[in-house]
Amino acid sequence: SQPLSGHQAAELQSKVVPSKQILHSDNMEMEPETMETKSVTDYFNKLHMGSLVYSCTSKRKNK
Amino acid sequence: HVRYRMEASCLELALEGERLCKAGDCRAGVSFFEAAVQVGTEDLRTLSAIYSQLGNAYFYLHEYAKALEYHHHDLTLARTIGDLLGEAKASGNLGNTLKVLGNFEEAIVCCQRHLDISRELNDKVGEARALYNLGNVYHSKGKNVASAGTHDPGDLPDDVKNALQKAANYYEENLTIVTELGDRAAQGRAFGNLGNTHYLLGNFRSAVLAHEQRLLIAKEFGDRSAERRAYSNLGNAYIFLGEFETASEYYKRTLQLARQLKDRAVEAQACYSLGNTYTLLQDYEKAIDYHLKHLVIAQELNDKIGEGRACWSLGNAYTALGNHDQAIHFAERHLEISREVGDRSGELTARLNLSDLQMVLGLSYSTNNSMMSESHVVENSFNGTRPRAGRRHSMENMELMKLTPEKKSSRE
Repeated sequence: SQPLSGHQAAELQSKVVPSKQILHSDNMEMEPETMETKSVTDYFNKLHMGSLVYSCTSKRKNK
Repeated sequence: HVRYRMEASCLELALEGERLCKAGDCRAGVSFFEAAVQVGTEDLRTLSAIYSQLGNAYFYLHEYAKALEYHHHDLTLARTIGDLLGEAKASGNLGNTLKVLGNFEEAIVCCQRHLDISRELNDKVGEARALYNLGNVYHSKGKNVASAGTHDPGDLPDDVKNALQKAANYYEENLTIVTELGDRAAQGRAFGNLGNTHYLLGNFRSAVLAHEQRLLIAKEFGDRSAERRAYSNLGNAYIFLGEFETASEYYKRTLQLARQLKDRAVEAQACYSLGNTYTLLQDYEKAIDYHLKHLVIAQELNDKIGEGRACWSLGNAYTALGNHDQAIHFAERHLEISREVGDRSGELTARLNLSDLQMVLGLSYSTNNSMMSESHVVENSFNGTRPRAGRRHSMENMELMKLTPEKKSSRE
């Protein structure tokens, strides 16, 4: 094959630019998701829990 | 008594699971929640809360199939006991999980349910959160379709544009509510994602405005990770505004914070961005400096894809400087790595780069493949003014030059 002319060599150099695809589509920094939260203490029937806690602690005292 | 003991132990296990998850140890938290489920409870609200937290723990552990399973159990249970608020929450969590799994249509249905119930209950906080989730689903949907093709920001098919526009609208609606509520943290999140949505839509000025707001709020909270994210996103937007100097300043701040936060992967990305930015500024020495830094970290992290990109970028930069020996060295390394990771398009790019370099050097490079002879044909028909479409990745940047006429003229 023939070597490129000086003009073509310059052309080769001028083409050297980073890819936009690689440059900027895969490093976008997103904010985190927010998940909804539940807690057993939100839902647990307080009265029921009170009696449970009582029964637990009284048992422990009896031991 | 036996039942009481069982209930107590289920509750105790669940409370320990909650404590561990709050402390950031989701793996241990999961064990306690799973044990609580094994023991069982007759209180369906307690069970619903356990399922919900198991789903979230698995979500944070990136085990999305399990997260889906538990959020689904939670939803079923919430409906069974007629707990409307519980149903809204489960729907939102299910929606987020489906989004990550790429099931956008079902995710939209779930997030919409979260929104509808929140409005029905006149729950402003829930409504805002559902709007943010919906924005995220549409953003992901748009990005997902866009990445299937090779589109640049702002150059998008209609379905992608519609999804992204919807995302922007949901973020705006969310912002209206959280601003009323005075919830700065939520505003920060919405601004960040809104900025990224504008960026994809090609509204780079709007993207800058949103990310500047995000930056402000990150600083208010002393949230350095969020601050670093904002710098990085600002850098990206300024690249497409053709303001490479400004972009480089933001990327430098990204790099500074990445080092402070001791996050090597993020540091590597910042070096890579800086290398590319200095290439656009045609300061190839600086570009090489940053690409070499990126290369070192990529090797350290055993990131083959990153290493391949670094070699490709270095090959290009050395070519631009006329240092053909180094250019060939890195192009060959790029070819090797592309083969190693099975990156066909990288392999093709590397071969074309090598053949171009051989042309310049007048070498007859010997490789035992048919690609070379084919690329010679390509070369001979290449008239040096109009590159063939799809010839190589870097050609895409001819498009970028349209955005930056001042660069175009300075290149002559």
